[in-house]
Amino acid sequence: MLSVLVLVPVLVAGLLVALPSGRLRALRSLALGAGIVELALALYVFLSYDSNLGGYQLVERYRWLDSLGVSFHLGVDGVSAPLVLLNGIVLFTGVIISWHMKPRPKDFFILFFTLASGVFGTFVALDLFFLFFFYELAVLPMYLLIGVWGSSSDFGTFIRTKEYGALKLTLVLVAGSVLVWVGLLAMYVEAGVGSFDLLDLEAAGMSVGVQRFLFPFFMLGFGVLAGLWPFHTWSPDGHVAAPTAVSMVHAGVLMKLGAYGLLRVGISLLPEGAHAWAPVLIVLGTVNVVYGAMSAMAQKDLKYVVGYSSVSHMGYVLMGLATLTVVGMDGAVLQMFSHGIMTALFFALVGIVYERAHVRDITVFEGLAKRMGLTSAFFVVAGLTSLGLPGLSGFVAEFLVFVGVFQTYPVLGVLAIIGAAITAVYILRLLGKVFFGPLNPKWEKLPDATPREGFAAAVLVATIVFVGVNPGFLMRAIDSGVQALATRL
Amino acid sequence: MEWAWIAAAAPLAAFPLVALRGKWLPGRGAYISIAAIGLSFVLFWLVGADFLRRQADHFSITWFNSGGTRLALGMIIDPLSVYMLGIVSVVALGVQVYSLKYMEHEPRFSWYFAVQSLFAASMLGLVLSDNFLLLYVTWELVGLCSYLLIGFWFEKRSAAEAAKKAFVTTRIGDVGLLIGILVLFKATGSFDIGTVIQAAESGQISSGTLTVAALLLFAGAMGKSAQFPLHVWLPDAMEGPTPVSALIHAATMVVAGVYLVARAFPIFEAAPGALEVVGWLGLLTALLTATMALVMTNLKQVLAYSTISHLGFMMLALGSIGFTGGMYHLMTHAFAKALLFLGAGSIAHGTGLTDIKDMGGLWRKMPLTSTLFILGALSLAGVPPLGGFFSKDEVLAAVYHNQGPVVLGLTLVLALLSALYMARLVFVVFFGPDRSRESGVHAHESPWQMVVPLVALAYLAVTSGAAAFYLPGTGEGLGQFLFWEEGEAFHPLWWLIIASMVIVAAGFVIAWGIYQRGWRVARALEPVARLARRKYYMDDLYQWTIDRVVLVFAGMVALFDRTVVNDGGVNGSGGIVARVGKRLRYHETGRVYNYGLVMAGAIVVLGLMVTLLR
Repeated sequence: MLSVLVLVPVLVAGLLVALPSGRLRALRSLALGAGIVELALALYVFLSYDSNLGGYQLVERYRWLDSLGVSFHLGVDGVSAPLVLLNGIVLFTGVIISWHMKPRPKDFFILFFTLASGVFGTFVALDLFFLFFFYELAVLPMYLLIGVWGSSSDFGTFIRTKEYGALKLTLVLVAGSVLVWVGLLAMYVEAGVGSFDLLDLEAAGMSVGVQRFLFPFFMLGFGVLAGLWPFHTWSPDGHVAAPTAVSMVHAGVLMKLGAYGLLRVGISLLPEGAHAWAPVLIVLGTVNVVYGAMSAMAQKDLKYVVGYSSVSHMGYVLMGLATLTVVGMDGAVLQMFSHGIMTALFFALVGIVYERAHVRDITVFEGLAKRMGLTSAFFVVAGLTSLGLPGLSGFVAEFLVFVGVFQTYPVLGVLAIIGAAITAVYILRLLGKVFFGPLNPKWEKLPDATPREGFAAAVLVATIVFVGVNPGFLMRAIDSGVQALATRL
Repeated sequence: MEWAWIAAAAPLAAFPLVALRGKWLPGRGAYISIAAIGLSFVLFWLVGADFLRRQADHFSITWFNSGGTRLALGMIIDPLSVYMLGIVSVVALGVQVYSLKYMEHEPRFSWYFAVQSLFAASMLGLVLSDNFLLLYVTWELVGLCSYLLIGFWFEKRSAAEAAKKAFVTTRIGDVGLLIGILVLFKATGSFDIGTVIQAAESGQISSGTLTVAALLLFAGAMGKSAQFPLHVWLPDAMEGPTPVSALIHAATMVVAGVYLVARAFPIFEAAPGALEVVGWLGLLTALLTATMALVMTNLKQVLAYSTISHLGFMMLALGSIGFTGGMYHLMTHAFAKALLFLGAGSIAHGTGLTDIKDMGGLWRKMPLTSTLFILGALSLAGVPPLGGFFSKDEVLAAVYHNQGPVVLGLTLVLALLSALYMARLVFVVFFGPDRSRESGVHAHESPWQMVVPLVALAYLAVTSGAAAFYLPGTGEGLGQFLFWEEGEAFHPLWWLIIASMVIVAAGFVIAWGIYQRGWRVARALEPVARLARRKYYMDDLYQWTIDRVVLVFAGMVALFDRTVVNDGGVNGSGGIVARVGKRLRYHETGRVYNYGLVMAGAIVVLGLMVTLLR
């Protein structure tokens, strides 16, 4: 089942290669079909995961390179199952949003689905060799997706070209990958079991000294992709350059790969290292939260606001992980899911506005709610999720992170909560400026979201509300996964 | 009793139904909303009757588990929650019925009723919740609804700003509330209010922690209940439709803070110094805003400042260990204030006027509305035998027993100011020359859908005084009921009652002199009045802080991020690599003898290393 989940997108990408370029209808049907199949598979994987049983489930293992101890080993636990679901939802809505992708729609979807395989693969791989392989597979298409389909912006005092955004994103992430790869090889050697298998490495264990030495490789290597301060600037600039669907997948799912790798490889395999470095990580996470929120407040471009808000919200993930408590890590994983959906929604809506108005400058908008009722309503929901309103998914996640942080570093917990208040300030200012107030006559003719776009956004909004009201739906799995992981700490 | 949760769940269920499908529902969804809150009101009676036969109890279900901690949705049925259930549901019901006519021409009519339902549901959930997590959840939802309703006419810049201000200001207080809840959780390992209170009473929590936690909870209460210095949002909240103001000022939102202090009262009692802070801040807020109520000329704004003043008065009561008095005043104020706001709406509906400078002689034009409005005003001014008179005296008694003479003296000054600004409204709006004719307005009475709720609220405002002595069904007074086990009777202090009556009378005489006879006493106080009219420059100070401090700092962080972290750190390190590469490229000369030299040198060095380091 899991191998189907991972391989279908890349097979679809292969089929697309064979498809003649002009066949738009066939292209879209194939893309939509693949999106629906993947969503269904992801939902099936999540629902079939039995949290009472725990452990890795739906396990598949195929021999590959016996001499090196590499096998194609797949499985999900309580942590990865919700993230698989997240990816299914974001991909599906991403396909719908990119319906009229121009130019070269075929090439776009080829790369898009290749990336999708990489993301699913990273979440379900239980072999570190393949985990790293899929991780790279997810990151590298970004370069072309942004470089070719992105947009350049002139902000008056400075310019951000799409080539710059693509280049910086790729170079920074590859630099992180190098650290990860070095760490993986060192771990392979140090564990001395001649295997890349996660379970073997878990069982082997490593000396405290080695763990402490290796942990920073993963903390920084994976942390870069999670937007860890001060290696986060690729993220807002990348978003500003990226096309809508790429931003959705990028902030919605890709940044989670970093946090997931940190948890799955760093914390789970190097618990002693995690204990030694947790204070550093949690302080950096706090900086992410407050610094990201302050930066977001000063931005004038809608995409920069959302980009910096991602930096801020990923800070909660890092903080939650760094508490090394079950509650905190529960919150971190739920926040990965919640932020993924929320930020995908944000970018989808910014894309809808941008496509019509051809600007993203907050200062030129006013009173859009009068013309774009649906878009505005959805944007308000996304904003309220962002500021941690109860009843929406972000609240429970952040609340659990706060509980975890208060048990370990109360002072940082206070700062994190203040960060949430700063978020409220910039989100409410944004909503008030862009959507409320008298309609700027310049935007009199702006049409609202089409039913297609509205449907994609509605799927995301429904997910946010459902998880916010009934967090147990995800928390049963997450809690069982994190508890199993925490026994190793 | 087990089904009391339906009281909150019914309006909650009405919210998505009316919001999404309102257009196709009876009464464009309004009837669904009203039926839901009506059901809550009926349930109040059933729960109350059931409760009188049984004991306080609480029920809960698991929301989700995390790391062995059970996060629950639970409700508590005790005197305080039953009492609040009644107040909230009856006022919300009255407001919704009133809105039926008042809002009928609004294009977003269904949305209005949907949010009204969510508002009522959140507030009912808040007063029923038995743990801090659910309390915080509903607390925030109450904040959300006020945001949506104050900003109901979001096309108006001022409404959008007022909504934002309300949400942000209360959110600042909520930072404190959330931290306080987490401090208590860290100390006790529980979110359950009963468990935390037990731990606090048994001395399980160190007194320092307890005081910190209590003050943090109070910070949340200050935001919601608009206590100084977080009071600035409430006067602006009148940008919403008038029935919304009635709801916010009377039964939802602002009383949440007072309720929180009352619900967590044992924690405040056990925390050294906490109640003193509550009392003093309440008194300060009450005095400060009473002076503002005296000088404002917008009818709704006067009422808004009067609300803040009375909320301060309730906090003062709680701070003086006057639990009964504080909660009693919450009720009498709720009925009177809802009546006043709906009355103000009725006046605006009938005359189109909002500024009292344009009103006058309305008593002749709208006798019914005027009579009802005046009843509410007299109750709040503390005129016997209306509700406000009794609750005020109960608070005064508590202040007398538990505070020093200074506080008592200031409280009596407050009583004078309260009487004065209410009397001012009465004289300026309803008596004297008719200034409305000059502005070409023809006043008329409101339709019966608007009058019925007014009459009902007026009835409650008048009769709530009797609750002090006799609460129907319980056979005893409110004091015994609220304190269930160690009952507390109404304690009248005759000299204090007479003193307060004299003060109220003096207030009316002074107001009559100034506003009917043109006495010139106000002239001398003009500098103070100007200060009060400028809201003591609080709004300007906050605006300045946001524009000149917060935003400037944010701009600096963003600039630092773009120039130092990105251009310096990221591009810089990239640039270094590029420069190093540029240098190194000159070593690729393409000449074999260069490479041979390097190779030979390297072999020599490596050979030396191997032999020497062996």
